[in-house]
Amino acid sequence: MVEEKENVANAGQEPVSKKGAKKQAKAAKKAEQKAENAAAVAVDAAGDNAADHAADRYGLYEMIQSKETRSERQFVSVSELSNHVNDKGLLWVRGRVHTSRAKGKQCFLILRQQSSTVQCILAVGDVISKQMVKFAGNIPKESIIDIQAKAVAVPNRIESCTEQLLELFIEQIFVISQAKAQLPLQIEDASRPENADDADGLNIRVNQDTRLDNRVLDLRTPANQAIFRLEAGVCRLFRDILTDQGFTEIHTPKIISAASEGGANVFTVSYFKDSAYLAQSPQLYKQMAIAADFDKVYTVGAVFRAEDSNTHRHLTEFVGLDLEMAFKYHYHEVLHTIGNTFTAIFKGLRDKYSREIEAVGQQYKVEPFKFLEPPLILQFAEGVAMLREAGIETGDEEDLSTPNEKLLGRLVKAKYDTDFYILDKFPLSIRPFYTMPDPSNPIYSNSYDMFMRGEEILSGAQRIHDPEYLIERAKHHNIDTTKIAAYIESFRYGCPPHAGGGIGMERVVMLYLGLDNIRKTSMFPRDPKRLTP
Amino acid sequence: MYELKTLLPQFDIKLPTCMYELRNVSLSAGATPGPAVSVLFSSCRSRATENESNISKSVNCALDLDILGRQIQHLLKHEDTNAVVERQEKVLKQLEELKAQLGQIRKSLGVRVCGKTFQHTTAYQNGGLKEEPLHDVVVNGHPNFIPYALLALKNAWRDLYTIDVKTFTHSTMADIGPAAHDFEAKLAKVAVNAALPKINVTLIWKNCEHTEMISSPTMYVPIYGEVNIIRYLGRVGPNEYRYESSPLCNEIDAVLDICYQLLRCSTHKSQVAMVRLLDKRLQQQQYFGGDQMSVADIGVYSSLIRMPAITEKDLTPALLAWRKRAKLITQI
Repeated sequence: MVEEKENVANAGQEPVSKKGAKKQAKAAKKAEQKAENAAAVAVDAAGDNAADHAADRYGLYEMIQSKETRSERQFVSVSELSNHVNDKGLLWVRGRVHTSRAKGKQCFLILRQQSSTVQCILAVGDVISKQMVKFAGNIPKESIIDIQAKAVAVPNRIESCTEQLLELFIEQIFVISQAKAQLPLQIEDASRPENADDADGLNIRVNQDTRLDNRVLDLRTPANQAIFRLEAGVCRLFRDILTDQGFTEIHTPKIISAASEGGANVFTVSYFKDSAYLAQSPQLYKQMAIAADFDKVYTVGAVFRAEDSNTHRHLTEFVGLDLEMAFKYHYHEVLHTIGNTFTAIFKGLRDKYSREIEAVGQQYKVEPFKFLEPPLILQFAEGVAMLREAGIETGDEEDLSTPNEKLLGRLVKAKYDTDFYILDKFPLSIRPFYTMPDPSNPIYSNSYDMFMRGEEILSGAQRIHDPEYLIERAKHHNIDTTKIAAYIESFRYGCPPHAGGGIGMERVVMLYLGLDNIRKTSMFPRDPKRLTP
Repeated sequence: MYELKTLLPQFDIKLPTCMYELRNVSLSAGATPGPAVSVLFSSCRSRATENESNISKSVNCALDLDILGRQIQHLLKHEDTNAVVERQEKVLKQLEELKAQLGQIRKSLGVRVCGKTFQHTTAYQNGGLKEEPLHDVVVNGHPNFIPYALLALKNAWRDLYTIDVKTFTHSTMADIGPAAHDFEAKLAKVAVNAALPKINVTLIWKNCEHTEMISSPTMYVPIYGEVNIIRYLGRVGPNEYRYESSPLCNEIDAVLDICYQLLRCSTHKSQVAMVRLLDKRLQQQQYFGGDQMSVADIGVYSSLIRMPAITEKDLTPALLAWRKRAKLITQI
């Protein structure tokens, strides 16, 4: 217990004080000694010189260097243990020590494998010696162990584990990889549910920076396991759905010679004797692929933004899911394709990742994501009207400010009960120069934004595919046409009308799950203040 | 009385020329009638002096009925009234000309003149408050309780009013079932006539207890129950179906109330009892409340569709005949 308290106290600061380091080294040495010479320790502690009749049933396993195959050992994963209850034979299980406490002649140990946990028991008897119980009780948390055990059904549910109906009677236990005795953060603390109103519960939290500094440990919590599995699901669904619709995946360069979206917010990298930029968006390359007759393309890749904004939703490097599509006569063909892709992703997540969503919900209490099928499409003007009805003063050609964006999200949710909606026909003046103006009303444009829980996740438009008109629009925006000559040039050899958009993967996952910070959905986030790990 | 000083400065105030000149009708007893009375508002100064003289002359007999009567008689005799009539006719003629001019402009611009323009009705019963119908409402419905009234109204109002229904499925519903799909297809079949006044309805299939209508979350509370949604649509829909000012208002409300209860009956027995009540209301009439189709018929018709337990056996001949008539209009 004393040790644990110290851990909590030290959790915030990475460089341990000299004294602490000494202490740690001492403790580690002690543990090593104990483990290596279990018999001697047993003599010290137990005070009897009885021979250890279970000496070959436990210990530190030698470093695995692929010397032997041990193919006779049949391993079972923790989540499948329930199929092996009361099997005659013994099972092998590899997992981490979640907690371990020895109590007299018994030792209770919780074994964790990803998000599944199971309770294990060692009790002194014919097979197990006192020394073995002591050894098991002293294995540091988070060490990886191999156990051979028998699965037995239990009469009362074990509330603290995911496998509640069984426990394992250990007969052999070997440490494969030992963890440091002192951890910078406790997995229990990191996975404790966030109940703001539960005053009675333990209130120990691990703050965001400690988590990110020790991301390897932090990622072991059930919620984090679920988040990144779900994130993989988003990418997979995005790829599968678009591939099914005849899209081709392309890869675009990330080192580029000119800034793609305006001059600001780009990272400069040295490029031999010259300098280059990191791509802010694959926009230009997507469009060139369209001009090169790929018809429908998407790309999944890193996008860099040198924005010095420390908010809950900005990263300097994130994964962009971008798509671009040629259409026949109306950009709504593309709008509906993108909207339906989102609906399909949401449905896929709802149906195939319900376990992950539940696991995240255990720690972070949020409302499930709601959506409509087909997706709700509102006109920008309608959105403005809704805001005005709610008493907000906003101009017809004014961009939505962040608070207004959130409020509109709440209004739409109240009226239509959907967390996802599309806003179509944005004012021309607030969109980039390559946006196609609306043919019937010159103040609007053929552009759209998509929102999840009131935050923008996609911004897209019909692009101008006529080089002369593009030059005209660029001049109207006072853009030096010589700088974008290559962009304009790519439309000179004939280009179909096209539209598209880009999504930030981390943002989609964050908003789908209703998390409050984008760093929770980026495995190793990059922001203006963080470059490591 | 005290004499008052003229407070206004002695400037010539130029009055706008677009005002009509009116004759001064408040003549005092002694004043000679006729053109001698100077034109009002010609200048501030003259008015001030005139008032002074008027007041001084009529001070002793301001409310003398005789004088008043004489004044009225004098007014009636005078040609003033004829002048007013003439002027009004002239204005009407000018308005006609203006209308013709506008029509020509519209024609040359290619703007279509709607046959029917939507009128905001002023409800006289509620003290002349202007009722502005909401043109955009959301209806949440469970696929097990399909709001057939929307389709019935859409069909019945085909030539009068457009109900533009867009359907969505909420994420709480995994599958909406064949009946709802069929209903969606039928809704989509009715063509939207852009020339008619219209209301946009967003129908969302949702795992909700009641059929509910949300118009504006910030300003109004939701309306629960299909029957009440019919009532609302009956108020904003075409004039032919507005029943608030009709003498049958109470009757129609009573029938709709029975529908409301019918939809909440869980046993067959109680449902049949409600049907009997409906039969009593209908008697030998063509439609509920008379010879004209009304929202009451829409309510009863759509409620009966939602009650598969009520078969033809449970309906009286009068109701069956009514159902046939109503079917021609609702087309479900």
